[in-house]
Amino acid sequence: MSTVTVEDLAGVTVPRRFWTRERKTGAVFVALGVLAAGLFGALAPAETARFTLSEDASGAALKINGQFGAILFGIVTIGAGATLLAGVARRWTSTLLGLGILAFVLSFLCWQVAGKFMPLVDTAKGSLELALPLILGALAGVLCERSGVVNVAIEGQFLMGAFGAALVGTMAASVWIGLLSAAVGGLVIAVLLAVLAMRYLVDQVVLGIVLNLLALGLTGFLYERLMQPHADVYNQPPRMPTWRIPGLADIPVVGPVLFNTNPLVYLALILVAVISVGLARTRWGLRTRAVGEHPAAADTVGIRVKGTRYRNVLLGGLIAGAGGAFFTLVSTGSFNKNMTSGAGFIALAALIFGRWTPVGAFFAALFFGFANKLATYLSAIGSPVPSQFLNMLPYLATLIAVAGLVGRVRAPAADGKPFIKG
Amino acid sequence: MRIVSVFAVGGLALSAAACGEAPKNNEGGSNAANKYTACMVTDTGGIDDKSFNAGAWAGLQAAQKTQSNVDPKYVASAAEADYEPNLTQYVNQKCNFILAVGGLMRDATLKIAQANANQEFGIVDSKIAEVKNVYPMQFDTAQAAFLAGYLAAGYSKTGTVATYGGMKIPPVTIFMDGFVDGVAHYNKVKNKDVKVLGWNKATQNGTFAEAFTDQAKGKAISDTFVAQRADVIMPVAGGTGLGTASAAKESGKFSVIWVDSDGCESAAQYCSAFLSTVEKNISGAVEQAVVAGAKGDKLDNATGYVGTLANDGVSLAPYHEFDGKVPAELKAEVEKLKADVVSGAIKVESPNSPTK
Repeated sequence: MSTVTVEDLAGVTVPRRFWTRERKTGAVFVALGVLAAGLFGALAPAETARFTLSEDASGAALKINGQFGAILFGIVTIGAGATLLAGVARRWTSTLLGLGILAFVLSFLCWQVAGKFMPLVDTAKGSLELALPLILGALAGVLCERSGVVNVAIEGQFLMGAFGAALVGTMAASVWIGLLSAAVGGLVIAVLLAVLAMRYLVDQVVLGIVLNLLALGLTGFLYERLMQPHADVYNQPPRMPTWRIPGLADIPVVGPVLFNTNPLVYLALILVAVISVGLARTRWGLRTRAVGEHPAAADTVGIRVKGTRYRNVLLGGLIAGAGGAFFTLVSTGSFNKNMTSGAGFIALAALIFGRWTPVGAFFAALFFGFANKLATYLSAIGSPVPSQFLNMLPYLATLIAVAGLVGRVRAPAADGKPFIKG
Repeated sequence: MRIVSVFAVGGLALSAAACGEAPKNNEGGSNAANKYTACMVTDTGGIDDKSFNAGAWAGLQAAQKTQSNVDPKYVASAAEADYEPNLTQYVNQKCNFILAVGGLMRDATLKIAQANANQEFGIVDSKIAEVKNVYPMQFDTAQAAFLAGYLAAGYSKTGTVATYGGMKIPPVTIFMDGFVDGVAHYNKVKNKDVKVLGWNKATQNGTFAEAFTDQAKGKAISDTFVAQRADVIMPVAGGTGLGTASAAKESGKFSVIWVDSDGCESAAQYCSAFLSTVEKNISGAVEQAVVAGAKGDKLDNATGYVGTLANDGVSLAPYHEFDGKVPAELKAEVEKLKADVVSGAIKVESPNSPTK
């Protein structure tokens, strides 16, 4: 991969071609809009689509005629696409991008929900819940990879975290000790990753895969021998409580989703903010980035490259482990074999999709959570779209988003390259 | 590479521990001369899956109790690639009966059975008509799921029930077909309009977790159903369904119908959420086949075994903690319905039923 970035190119005079990225996207949007207005509009029954502002069918609702909505939002998509295509309003490019996607999704929803209802709070809550481990996993990835260590072992850290939380949480009968043990579980894998990658220079991708297998085998073995025969002693951790923030929790839709939820959500939100500011504005952040981009240069100015990397990988392990606690302390109340089912790899994808930044990874994880929840919702209301396609939707949407919107992403230059002091 | 060697030793210790409880060989008994070795290959769920592998193994052990010359053994498959080597290994060990557990092992079993025409095989949840040396054990779970659907529809307060699957494969969707038909039957008899979410029998399209281990996804699916007013949910998804069970126990907003083996025994911590279970009596079928084989009877491979309500191969489990909550009238109707299905007065049909 070339190391020239888009930002670098901006300063150089490049002959401006007609088919810029914006114009291409605009053309795609116009096509999608025509599809939405034409196909969705034609298929949608002329019945009311209700979007309720609650967890179920009750309460106030936004109502729109399904057919009208599908056509209307289809036209909005065409409009956004046309504006991009025309090349006017360059400053609003990202707004138009967002608008186009939103309108297309809304058009699709108007078609599907016509004659039915979609509970917005449940949808938002479900999306956030599915995204929560991904957010924490991706943050762990940000810490490791920005300092130059590839972390493919997030899945293993999740599993060890989930397992540790269930085991110790049950034995100590405390959800907080469970959470702490989850972090320690993630740390165990992180220590192995750090030592083998930096001390013994094992290829980091291969190492990550092997650590995942180790975590899977170890937790699976202990589960079968220890937890399954004696579930009441080892596999019934207490559940995380719900903390309600007075005042904020009363805001419609957003309140119950963000401010009346479990502490892990608050932890994730705080970590996104802290790591984001930390990376950009603190000495630690600068050193982390320096070590990830050009370790030799960092070394010459006296930054301890390996020390920084160790610290970040171990921190990442703690965070990913805490993310693993989601599976046993928040989502469900017991551990089972391979219960993370590949979430660690999706977290890795969210990290890349989010361009190795905490905020980007956060939104990528949310996006994936939403697509996943949407697929579940659509199949539950009996959408005619085949289930195989619906289950593909989160991955497909991510793929399109990565290819179409994010464009070329650039990993930290020294990502995955061990530093050997010359 | 000190660390690596530490791990190598650790790995050895672990695998040695894993072998620690290997089944004993029954050498030296009075029947040692005509020992009947029954060898079982698990699918990737492992021996302790609390589902069909565990059930089949329980069947082998039960067979040993009734017929003392039965010598049961098993090997666990860690991956689908292990099926063929594990089967071949048992062929080489000259087992009398080799049991393949699970429909996913069909292709591997077919291949090995073709290559060893004189070896007797058995398979659970599938039928291999191409060869004559495989005894199929199948279950018409649609019949028991039909009762469950009726029960769910009768028990639901909101008039909405739901089901979802782990993967879209016939041993899963057959439950969902029966469930949907049971609800439809209730609607017809009672002139009601109970809705089923998650499966459309006519189009064979519905909700699937695409995993048998993903509890978080199971919870997400059941939350979605509950938001759409469902208050009885039947997950046909193995470990994924535990997410639904725990959500039900925690919220108390809905109850769960479990599948395969009685939830109050296999997932006892969630017993308070289980309305009932659609049971598949795999251990009974395996026991029957192995005992017959050990006595020297010839197994009827062409017909095989099909578990139905009539032969108790499939059944609806007791209500346990819901015993007091299910109205006596509804219980009686379910009993009556069972009798009607057994007698053939009501036919339960599913495109995913065992092939005759």
